[in-house]
Amino acid sequence: MVDISVSDAVPTRSYTQTIARRFLSHRLAVVGAVMVVFLCASALFAQLVSPHDPMRIDTSQRFLPPFVSWGHLLGTDDLGRDTLSRLLYGGQVSLAVGIVAMLTTMVTGTLVGLAAGYYGGIIDNLLMRLVDTLLCFPQVFLLLVIAAFVPPTILSISLIIGLTSWMEVSRIVRAQVSSLKEMDFIQASRGFGASNWRIMLVELLPNIMAPVLVAATLKVATAVLMESYISFLGYGVQPPMASWGNMLTNAQGYFDTVPFLAILPGVLITFTVMSFNFLGDGLRDAIDARLKIDP
Amino acid sequence: MSGDVIGYILRRILHSIPLVIGVSIIGFGIMHLAPGGPLAVYTLNPTITVTDIERLRVALGLDQPIHLQYLSWAKAMLTGSWGVTFFGGRPVLEVILERVPATMTLMGSSLALAIVIGTLIGILGAVKRNSIFDYLATTGAMLALSFPTFWFGLMAIYVFAIQLGWLPSGGMYELGEEGNPWDLLRHLILPVMVLTLVLLATWSRYSRSSFLDVIQQDYIRTARSKGLGERQILFRHALRNAVIPLVALLGVQLPTLFSGALVAETIFSWPGMGRLFVDALNMKEYPILMGMIMFTAFFVIVGNLIADVAIAAIDPRVKLA
Amino acid sequence: MAIKFSPTRRSVLKGAAASSLIVPVTGIYSPALAQKRDRIILGTTQEPVQFNPLLYVNAGAENIPEACLFDALWDVNEKGEFIPNLAARIPTMENGDISADGKVWRINLKRDVKWSDGQPFTAKDVEFTYQTIVNPKVAVRSRSGFDLIKNFKVADPHTVEIELERPFVPFMWAWQNMHIVPHHLLSKEENINTSGFNAQPVGTGAYLLKTRTAGSHMVYEANPNYHRGAPKIRQFIHKFVPDQLVAYGQARTGEIDYIGVSGVPFDRWAEAAKLPDRHFFPLGQPWVQFVYFNCGKPQFKDPKVRKALYLALEMQKAIDDVFFGAYKRTLSYLHTTHWAYNHDLKDSGPNPQLAAKMLDEAGWKVGADGVREKDGVKMKFSMSTTAGFPARQATQAIFQQNWKAIGVEMEIKNMPASVVWGEYTTKSQFDTLLVSWEPTVGMDPDYTARAHSKMIPAKTGSGSNYTQYENAEVDRLLEEGVRQTNVDERKKTYARIQEILLEEVPFGPQGGVYQGQMTHKSLQGIKPNQYVVDAAWNVHEWSWG
Repeated sequence: MVDISVSDAVPTRSYTQTIARRFLSHRLAVVGAVMVVFLCASALFAQLVSPHDPMRIDTSQRFLPPFVSWGHLLGTDDLGRDTLSRLLYGGQVSLAVGIVAMLTTMVTGTLVGLAAGYYGGIIDNLLMRLVDTLLCFPQVFLLLVIAAFVPPTILSISLIIGLTSWMEVSRIVRAQVSSLKEMDFIQASRGFGASNWRIMLVELLPNIMAPVLVAATLKVATAVLMESYISFLGYGVQPPMASWGNMLTNAQGYFDTVPFLAILPGVLITFTVMSFNFLGDGLRDAIDARLKIDP
Repeated sequence: MSGDVIGYILRRILHSIPLVIGVSIIGFGIMHLAPGGPLAVYTLNPTITVTDIERLRVALGLDQPIHLQYLSWAKAMLTGSWGVTFFGGRPVLEVILERVPATMTLMGSSLALAIVIGTLIGILGAVKRNSIFDYLATTGAMLALSFPTFWFGLMAIYVFAIQLGWLPSGGMYELGEEGNPWDLLRHLILPVMVLTLVLLATWSRYSRSSFLDVIQQDYIRTARSKGLGERQILFRHALRNAVIPLVALLGVQLPTLFSGALVAETIFSWPGMGRLFVDALNMKEYPILMGMIMFTAFFVIVGNLIADVAIAAIDPRVKLA
Repeated sequence: MAIKFSPTRRSVLKGAAASSLIVPVTGIYSPALAQKRDRIILGTTQEPVQFNPLLYVNAGAENIPEACLFDALWDVNEKGEFIPNLAARIPTMENGDISADGKVWRINLKRDVKWSDGQPFTAKDVEFTYQTIVNPKVAVRSRSGFDLIKNFKVADPHTVEIELERPFVPFMWAWQNMHIVPHHLLSKEENINTSGFNAQPVGTGAYLLKTRTAGSHMVYEANPNYHRGAPKIRQFIHKFVPDQLVAYGQARTGEIDYIGVSGVPFDRWAEAAKLPDRHFFPLGQPWVQFVYFNCGKPQFKDPKVRKALYLALEMQKAIDDVFFGAYKRTLSYLHTTHWAYNHDLKDSGPNPQLAAKMLDEAGWKVGADGVREKDGVKMKFSMSTTAGFPARQATQAIFQQNWKAIGVEMEIKNMPASVVWGEYTTKSQFDTLLVSWEPTVGMDPDYTARAHSKMIPAKTGSGSNYTQYENAEVDRLLEEGVRQTNVDERKKTYARIQEILLEEVPFGPQGGVYQGQMTHKSLQGIKPNQYVVDAAWNVHEWSWG
């Protein structure tokens, strides 16, 4: 799965500089990074930027077309709520889900991978069989089955997405750890009497951060996409709170008459997912061209 | 096939038995331990009282302790009926199988198309590395991977079915046209387009990188220095070696086809397994959901096995362990 | 949306199709489609999975096979009158079929009826149907009414005699809802729940099921021996189009002749009404949409508070905005068109000023955070319904805004159907619900299961009074109502019940549910009937004009 030589993974000053140089020379990656910063900023400051309360209903102003309606730059939806404001707030939800889900994925995957790789033996065996078992479920299936039984909130949805997508990460981490743990510096700290936890978290973890970081970026993209899938099938974040996914679902009933309502959130989802994919792709190339982690 | 290979396959099958059991326990556990359940569907009917619900709980066997329910389900699974649906009283296997041809038609066509076009784009991209074409293909693939499939599907319906009226918006056949290949073709175009796009992105990326790997290797350089034609090198030497990771990808992709189908079938009213799954999910039809989970788990395991065996068969360097 | 039918092209291609079957085909052999005038295509968004009329779960798509294939003892027509079907006549006290004390019912059956396999229909079938309904092993959805039967006797092959524990006027409705199944086929089945009959049913109905293509459609052929006369349209096709908007598109282009069950999307009603060659009509469904208050929660114990909360809601505006005016405002659990509806009820809302004043008087004062409170309890609660229904969510959003204006904080907490309608509802764990429900015994005005204090499942383990509403007068009136045989007296009883319910608001009615039905203009004989849920209730009378 992962093919990265250890010397590459140990960060040194010149290595970091190399990565930075390689990353900056990757045009799409830089574009991705800029877009990610822009998206995060607009979500963070949604309260300040958005022209209206995204929940404010005014049916006398419903279905206003975009670009030509005074006070509603991107028009209004079926209840007369301001589309621009809802997109901004929806971005908050979608990105929050993406990031919390990514964190859940990374923490779970890294812990499982660390434990499996470091202890080896029966623990490794059990954990990796669990991973194999969970990988037998196509993610959308697992996701929907759980989502259909759990009341939807931002947190629960993020956790569900996170907990159904950590398996690949744990495999990557395990592979890294297994090859690292026999290295001299690990053996040395063991010799100094460092605890297992200390070795895992202080010695090993920083040395496997590179691929984990790449995977993390790409996982945000997947999680944003997953949130929109769950919402589309009706199990996502509940209205009136806006998420891009549920705005799309809502727009479905009008998509032949007011297609704009469906186009906008879709474009934003694509835009966001693509930004994170570009960023992750660039990072991967910068760290090691041969490191294979899929978006 | 040599005895080695057969032995390997048998060993792998043996190893996957605990996997299958694990999948079934986890699937069963999630469904039965989560709040709610199929009886809630009955509550929507106003004439039904709590007494009725308790009676139904007994009639459907949902009052049994969960491990007994699991065992009776496992028994049904092993004896061939795969259990009986709650709301139709039909054998689950029968209900699933009648949906298989529709899904296979859709997924088979999409996959075939994606493999052919994707491999071609990959080869071209690898050969003409860093050209405009390569750049566009890479960016295009990235874009395709970033689309929410269902949104892309909706947009396709909007443009081709509603605005232009060229193609039907959903379904597999017009009424009375069952079995008519031209009618099927018309209905296939939009869903296949949507599904192929995503598969295509993965295929072109993979084939590009595996071709790049191969054409940079020594023996290709040797062949080139010997003055062999570029086309000959590509198709005789490179293709053979570059195909290996692609076969592995095929094995791994088989099961994900079902998740793809789930979304595409929902949008395009395709009468396949994906829709069955979504309907079953809404009704909390545990027996169908479990049947579908086992069905796909089976495909994952078989897919992985195919991938590994195929690699060994093509590449003498790989030994089956 | 999709390209229209072209029968000529189809017949040309038929031969080609047969010779070049290169692709797998779903389902089984499909009979040739009849010509346009010989068939009717009815489209619904859902697909029936259970064809045994005793076993299906909820009203909807499964009423269509039920109406096509099976018969009940009697039907209810569009005026709310009972008309005989398998029974030779409607039992009444006047004709002596119901005893003077209302306890013994004699039902005379038609003599010339045959099952579609040729066997005669007899009293044994009715008896068997009853036995199946009360058989604890069979997953029959409800026994409502049948649990009162003390004694069931086959008097002769065409007469049954039923003795009830106590007089129960809505008993008529119990039979109207239950279609008769064949004794000669099902009595041999070890387990009716999983019988092959459920997928390949044999009935007495107007149509015979020919084929079913999973996920696509079902084809029925007319039953030439139907006891009410063979249907005039030879072929009946039930097509499943999962997306409502697509289904509407197909009804517009003529790919389907009748769009039923969920019907035309609300925002397209105006457009549908203007289409040439199409007949559009709003069809009242028995359901009424309510806000359910859980009277067991401290916020909702006081009837005055519930009334105030109800008054603050813009019910009509929500109907206009969300349902495009399709629902009809009602103040009771009955549609305003129901014979027992109390027309003296007055709608005094929306009146936020009055609502705020009433809450003040009841002791709920606005706190520092703008939310009302009393004795340390905040006027803060959740409202739940099935997740994923845009119209319900929009309604909730409007209510949320209405309540916010008077210092009441409502949080929308929607859940998957299996969770919200499970113990969360039946054990009264909710704060408020947004729900559409019909009366409990057919369309009889009886509402015992929903409003009687002995019917609170969280306390007594039976019934469906999920709001935990208790009122001694309502109890007494409900008990009286099911014994009264005089229609005018019953009307008075239920009028008073509706009056009390509107005053104390355990459930706040919003509107009677309507669905937009659309047919081809030349399709004749369709009778919109608000007393039944199935569009195809009189399918044997349909014809092409």
